[in-house]
Amino acid sequence: MSRNLKTALLLALVSLSTFVGIIAKYWFLNGK
Amino acid sequence: MSAVIDTHGHAHDGHDHHDHHGGYGGVLRWITTTNHKDIGTLYLWFSFIMFMVGGTMAMAIRLELFQPGIQFFNPDLFNQFTTMHGLIMVFGAIMPAFVGFANWQIPMMIGAPDMAFARLNNWSFWLLPFAASLLVISFFTPGGAPGVGWTMYAPLTVQMGVGMDLTIFAVHLLGMSSILGSINIITTILNMRAPGMTLMRMPLFCWTWLITAYLLVAAMPVLAGAVTMSLTDRHFGTSFFNAAGGGDPVLYQHIFWFFGHPEVYIIALPAFGVVSQVIPAFSRKPLFGYASMVYATSAIAILSFIVWAHHMYTVGMPVQGQLFFMYATTLIAIPTGVKVFNWVATMWKGSLTFETPMLFAIGFLFLFTLGGFTGLVLSLVPIDIQLHDTYYVVAHFHYVMVAGALFAAFAGIYFWLPKWTGRMYDETLGKWHFWLTMIFFNITFFVQHFLGLAGMPRRIPDYPLIFESWNKISSIGAFGFGLSQLLFLYLVLKAIRSGEKAPEKPWEGADSLEWTHLPTPAPYHSFETPPVLK
Repeated sequence: MSRNLKTALLLALVSLSTFVGIIAKYWFLNGK
Repeated sequence: MSAVIDTHGHAHDGHDHHDHHGGYGGVLRWITTTNHKDIGTLYLWFSFIMFMVGGTMAMAIRLELFQPGIQFFNPDLFNQFTTMHGLIMVFGAIMPAFVGFANWQIPMMIGAPDMAFARLNNWSFWLLPFAASLLVISFFTPGGAPGVGWTMYAPLTVQMGVGMDLTIFAVHLLGMSSILGSINIITTILNMRAPGMTLMRMPLFCWTWLITAYLLVAAMPVLAGAVTMSLTDRHFGTSFFNAAGGGDPVLYQHIFWFFGHPEVYIIALPAFGVVSQVIPAFSRKPLFGYASMVYATSAIAILSFIVWAHHMYTVGMPVQGQLFFMYATTLIAIPTGVKVFNWVATMWKGSLTFETPMLFAIGFLFLFTLGGFTGLVLSLVPIDIQLHDTYYVVAHFHYVMVAGALFAAFAGIYFWLPKWTGRMYDETLGKWHFWLTMIFFNITFFVQHFLGLAGMPRRIPDYPLIFESWNKISSIGAFGFGLSQLLFLYLVLKAIRSGEKAPEKPWEGADSLEWTHLPTPAPYHSFETPPVLK
């Protein structure tokens, strides 16, 4: 795997986790 | 003294002269292009078109507000105009403009042949016209475009028609485009710098964009999450923000502004970067305090994540919360002050000339500082509670967004147009554009401070007679400001079609790689062999 691809995948993972995490947090917090 | 010098024949490293434009010609060239310069051009023209669309809505808003009473638009349509004006200007005009600069400049400034992911770059751009179309099409759906304000607060979002869904989908697309673009920019800067181009030798424009891209990667998913939760509240029976179902509308505001305040710096930091290139070039001095500029930019970015609730002092929060957000917000004045000091110190005892890019940079410096100062005023809880949702806030953020971002964008376009096109713009017309923009901008927005202090609320189509005079003046200023931008369009087209041939290095004090190591205009493919940096 190239260095560029590794950097991009790491950043994409951070973005995706933030997106899913924020929805999941309030989903479980509100008991929806 | 003129800054235009001709250095024909100086040595160029690391470029070739094969100016072929890939496999296609005509429209297909632009649809399929993976060249960073082509994609930069696409971003910039898209941004200008959106600037015109959003500007037309601003003209409609100011036309309605020219005098009290309902004259042209019903209140619902007025709300739709204010909402779409905000969304289009922020996501369709200002942000793409600076991504356009990033595409054109970053590879040339760090000595890279192109962006790290060229095909991804193409896709990042081509998401935008679809998103913009969704925003515009929402006007023609039953119920019209959403009239919720660009902040898309709950529970209003639940009450809107199908236009709201199109807008939410548009925000998703715009966010995806921004995140993909940012990943590309970070990867390019971290991994593709020419040998010898250490991080602390990069032009400040690259630094500001590196930090902005991190902000985008962290902040845009938060907005995407917020609008996704609004979407599921609308259609899938959830109650994230619906009090009747156990949700909390104020939660939306917290999430939105956790994105929204970094967004302010997502717009402002690249503008700082452009100004940090222009001021040293026309002062014929290196940027004063380069390292402190880098640290100040980082400090602003970090602080931007802990100040979000200063946008919502009036929703009701514990006094300890108000104090925390007030003190954290005022802290931002320190790194921002470092930057303003450094720009002024760069000019101090410099050999200054005042071509159009420098005029816009100095205009930026004056007006952004004023906008920053009114931001400091609004950060103080007791004052903000009086001024919240008044025209004082409208004046404040237009000083930051228009006088900050737009003035810096104009400075950058005039500065790099010779490098991009190989043609000079008409300096006299450029100066006319600056002064008309400067004068009409202040006529439009300075008086709005008075309206806000007198208590005029924002987002209303009608107002008491007492506010009439300042509103008339503001509207006249807005029409002048809008018309002045047609001069800019004419000026750019004139430069491209029949402008005087640009010298190799038109700006004496410009010293980044695109000026010192590439010919003018920049070749279609640059730095296929990395430049040698000593």
